[in-house]
Amino acid sequence: MKHPATHRSPAPRRMAAYGSILLMAMLVGASAGAYAQDAGPIKIGMVFPKQGPSASIGEYLSRGAMLAVEQHGKVLGRDVEIIFLDESNAQAAQQNFQKLVDEHKVVGVVGANSSASALAMAGVAERTKTPLIAAGAAAREVTGANCNRYTFRFQATVPVQMAGLMPAVEKQGKNAYFITAAYAFGQDILRTGQTMLQKSGGTAVGVDEVPLNTADYSSYVLKIRSAKPDAVVGGLVGQDLSNFLKQWNAMNMKGKIPFYEIAVSDTDFWDVGPDASTGTYVKPWYYNDPANSQAEKDFTKAFTEKFGKPPADKAYSGWLSMRSLLDAIDAAKSTDSKAIVQALEQWKDAKGAFPAYYREWDHQLIRPSVIVTIKKNITDKWDFFDVDSHTSKTEEDTLKDFGTKEEVGCNMPPL
Amino acid sequence: MFNEIVLSQAANGIVLGFLYVLIAAGLSITFGLLGVINFAHGAFFALGAYFGLMLYQWFGWAAVPLAPILVAVVGMFVEVILVRRLYGKEPLLSLIVTFALALLIEAIIRFIWGADGKPFGAPAFLSGVFEFGPLLMTSYRVAVLVATAVTLAILWAFLAFTPYGRILRAGSRDPEMVEMLGIRLPRVMTGVFGLGCGLAAIAGVLAGPLWNVSPSMSASAVMPAFVIVTIGGLGSLRGATIAGLLVGVVTTLTIQFYPHAAGAAMYVFMFLILLLRPRGLLGERWERFE
Repeated sequence: MKHPATHRSPAPRRMAAYGSILLMAMLVGASAGAYAQDAGPIKIGMVFPKQGPSASIGEYLSRGAMLAVEQHGKVLGRDVEIIFLDESNAQAAQQNFQKLVDEHKVVGVVGANSSASALAMAGVAERTKTPLIAAGAAAREVTGANCNRYTFRFQATVPVQMAGLMPAVEKQGKNAYFITAAYAFGQDILRTGQTMLQKSGGTAVGVDEVPLNTADYSSYVLKIRSAKPDAVVGGLVGQDLSNFLKQWNAMNMKGKIPFYEIAVSDTDFWDVGPDASTGTYVKPWYYNDPANSQAEKDFTKAFTEKFGKPPADKAYSGWLSMRSLLDAIDAAKSTDSKAIVQALEQWKDAKGAFPAYYREWDHQLIRPSVIVTIKKNITDKWDFFDVDSHTSKTEEDTLKDFGTKEEVGCNMPPL
Repeated sequence: MFNEIVLSQAANGIVLGFLYVLIAAGLSITFGLLGVINFAHGAFFALGAYFGLMLYQWFGWAAVPLAPILVAVVGMFVEVILVRRLYGKEPLLSLIVTFALALLIEAIIRFIWGADGKPFGAPAFLSGVFEFGPLLMTSYRVAVLVATAVTLAILWAFLAFTPYGRILRAGSRDPEMVEMLGIRLPRVMTGVFGLGCGLAAIAGVLAGPLWNVSPSMSASAVMPAFVIVTIGGLGSLRGATIAGLLVGVVTTLTIQFYPHAAGAAMYVFMFLILLLRPRGLLGERWERFE
């Protein structure tokens, strides 16, 4: 038996050896993980509606974005992995953005069909310093009072689009009726439209803010009919607009009082068919616009071949938004969020019919919208519109339309 | 002018209310006779619209009345494999399971028909409007009113005067006694669930030309259905009929005079009714079908 005084316990030295091996293993593992992250695919998040009334819009947004990924190929020599989560409502969009950052470690997100979602997600973008490109939102606050360094926006703001629309409304007469959705986008249309109408000496003879997902518009149509306006300015979204147009036509109002709206999508009209479609609209892009560039025509051809139907404007929004992010990551030569933001601020698409770029001080994409009217005689199941004009003709006019810093109200801190 | 506006909106509300009654009737029957809160009721409503559209595209309008029968068959299948396991269990379970079923059916609709809405207009012989001074009503909506009234009358007659109807009502009150009389209650209950789904589908077929046919159209049906069944009294068809008409009129008048509250009007109305009469207008304490 060994004497306790002479017994040397091997435990401390062995423990130290085990500890060193464990520490080395952890360090090797961590660096392997980091290496794997640097060498593995670049993860990009996508948050668009997968269900609910905006699901078809979300489908076009995501298809356009995925086509951009396909066409772009590798980024920084690495594959691109898209993680696509749902934008069923603003809260879910916000939570999913957080999940994309925390669990999936995405380098950027393309998302937000609705303005409410965009505003919610913008907060997460700023907090987590993850670039967000809001592909569908039009409410002014997104790049206005609520702007931040990590949020970019594709669609022209409500005031810009309304400035393109209201001259056509005012040509009809002095009295207009507003029927808009009861959330940020619709309220912005109402506010802007009423102000512009007042400036031109007109009057709003009726105002209705309609809850989202309203199915029956018959009572609203009766109200409009009894108010006898010269024109109706709408601010309804997706299938709410489709429902309204269907019932507007069924109640014999089509052609009796002209209807106008901004930020509409082709799907709103494809859903109801030629018989119920009517009105004049401002939209971001139209696949059959004669002014489309070769790049846009190529995009239309590729989309049509892949999906069997032409791209709705939302597909173009998703496509260009994703393209800008991928281009920016390549230009930044890095996945660092600050570098990507700076690259986005320098990004310019000169391949379009009109050059498009994100304005540095508010991150608003500067490009004109297209003004269209429903054809008198629709013979093609997808081609519903005649292109009347664009909201501006030159780069300078386009920039002027988007307002000054004071008008927009965005004050971003330095990066 | 004020009277004209009220008359116009009230008439519109009654027409809207009839559609709501038809949507709610099936839910009322399912709960009253089976004790199951069927949150998938709106999904069967949407399925009715899609089957109606599909039959119209393949065979024309004459085939559209088959749509509710097909949906009823689907409903009976669902009852056999899923719903009958919920009988006698706590109501929360049936709510959760049928909610999941609703999501599943919506996903299947989206998978088969796509996420896009589908154009589905009224038949040509029902296009057009009736205008009597301030009253404006489409011919199709009048047809919906008539169709709903006929459906409800047939349903009432079926339940009141036919042997099967008497079995249904007896089974809801005393299932053990009915079984002791040699009647196989499980088959009866399968039929009842199918009937409830068929009624939802009739409403869906009628609503298809009015509203946008899309996978999410179920949401437009299920919430008003629950509100109306609650106001009318759980398990009371007469209550659901009165409640549906009242909800329709309350909704349209609120849109006219206080549009900001239009979305909440039916819920506020429900709250007020339940404050005054917690079991609903014609609900019984026992909450069995009458």
